[in-house]
Amino acid sequence: MRNYPNDHKEIVSNLLEGRFIIYPNPMFATIQIQEDEYKEFFKESYGFELNIDSEFAYLSSNEVSEKRTRDFTLFLAMLCRELDYSGKNFRDSIELGTFDIDETEQLLRQSSRWEILEKTTVANFEGFIDAWNKKNVLKRTGNQFKFTKAVKLFFEFAVNVANAKLKEQQSL
Amino acid sequence: MSNLNLSGKDILKFLLTHYEFVQLVFNYSKPDFIIDSDKFHNLVNGYNTSSESKISLSKITTEFKFCRQLPTGEYKLNGNYTTFLEFIFDDFILDLPETLKNRYQAIFNHFTNLQTETNINRIILLIQEIIKVVEKFLNDIEGQTVRLLRDTESLKVNAENHSDFTIRIQKANYWIDEYIIPLNAILNKDHPNSVVNAIIQIQHYTSEKRILADTYELKREFEKLYACAVNAKTELDKTLSKLTRELLPLLERIKSDSIILSGFYHFIENIDQPENYIITLPILLRRTKGNAMSKTFSSEAEFYVDQFNYHTPEILYEEETEEIEWLPDASYFKEQLLKEREVSNFYQWCFDSLKEHTDNITLSKFFTVSNLILEEDIIAEYKEETRFEIQLSDAILRMPKVKIYEKLSE
Repeated sequence: MRNYPNDHKEIVSNLLEGRFIIYPNPMFATIQIQEDEYKEFFKESYGFELNIDSEFAYLSSNEVSEKRTRDFTLFLAMLCRELDYSGKNFRDSIELGTFDIDETEQLLRQSSRWEILEKTTVANFEGFIDAWNKKNVLKRTGNQFKFTKAVKLFFEFAVNVANAKLKEQQSL
Repeated sequence: MSNLNLSGKDILKFLLTHYEFVQLVFNYSKPDFIIDSDKFHNLVNGYNTSSESKISLSKITTEFKFCRQLPTGEYKLNGNYTTFLEFIFDDFILDLPETLKNRYQAIFNHFTNLQTETNINRIILLIQEIIKVVEKFLNDIEGQTVRLLRDTESLKVNAENHSDFTIRIQKANYWIDEYIIPLNAILNKDHPNSVVNAIIQIQHYTSEKRILADTYELKREFEKLYACAVNAKTELDKTLSKLTRELLPLLERIKSDSIILSGFYHFIENIDQPENYIITLPILLRRTKGNAMSKTFSSEAEFYVDQFNYHTPEILYEEETEEIEWLPDASYFKEQLLKEREVSNFYQWCFDSLKEHTDNITLSKFFTVSNLILEEDIIAEYKEETRFEIQLSDAILRMPKVKIYEKLSE
């Protein structure tokens, strides 16, 4: 029988709960060190892909996907746009800043695109923040929240969309 | 100046009196300092009506030589003025790095000649020439850097609409590729043909010559060139660090920020047609199968099962009344379930399917069918918090709405 790391159980249950494990959490270091073993473990045991980025790790599956990811991406996209419109550097704000839950909700509600968010899980804003707090994509403290490093995954998505669009326009 | 019948004071007075006009023309004619004839006449007329001091077209073209009319009709500003005005208005027009390159090529050539020249007078002339060209080069490069920094700052201004993102990305790319990277090559000391390299060579050469030259006069001249090279080296290092440590990261940042915003823009605009934003969303994991039932439901279920267990010993005393209850065939119901492909309300479906076979739906019958949720090839999805009631013959269950579909084979 092989030796499992001390935090093995915690790592597995966190990841299976759909949580991100983020540097400098010691669990992240454990995963990084045993990258191959863990990838194989999740693939063989559950059929899930373990994704390890430079600063975070998470599971993905083509069969049990989180449908609300779309809602979160929409929320982030709209927030970035609103921040940019209001003259702030959206990336500094998202990566470093702290947001007030009520103020952020107001900011989104006054957006011309609120009609889109209204139909999603973002409409129940506090519940939405809590749900993503559980996943470690946001960190809630009282009436405030911050984005964790996991947000980079969604920025990457935006970059890929933009590049794909640029390519599409160039080939026209 | 033979063809200028005015003194320097007259020219300065002209610039001072008509400062606003000069600035207006300067701004309109940028960057090539050529201005359309109609536009120029309008500017003159407009200025003359609104200002107390008047200007005459012939005076500024023939006497002050501020500009001249080209054969095509347009007016071209005099280069002597524009250089000075760029300095006054602190508004430099970007030269292509190639232009700068040609200029510093002159430094190279003079320096090569200097090393082989034996005539003292020629040596002095070459030294003075090198100092002149180096100073001019430093002025130019400083102006260019200021200009690039300012333009980059203006790019940081937040965009109003999507086309602005594209413009920002294009501009940032253009500046990086056309200016910063070539300027960097000119200024980088690791590059054998860079100006910094030439300056370093001059510095080394003159640091010896200022001590070892044949005459005192030559020593003094080499000393001047040495000071010029040392100063140039410091200035160019400063410029290089501004370019590579401030400007380049800033532009890269503007570029990548704009790309993110642009990607989000496409995503939002095409939210109802996911095929239009091309890239699939990050795939995250929903909490896994065991949690398809909420914790409340699980404790409620345990409670029911416990009740069930509690009754078992009583049955021992009532052996005669025990009857073998008909239990539904789970495999038959599973077949039915798989035929459905997708069931939006699983527990209601269990109830309805049982109803087709019997009116007496007991907990055990119900559980036999509802246990199908645990089958491996079935996926359960639980979204809503709301509950609905199912009335069985021996219990009332409050069940969540659970969506079921067949797991696709790999």
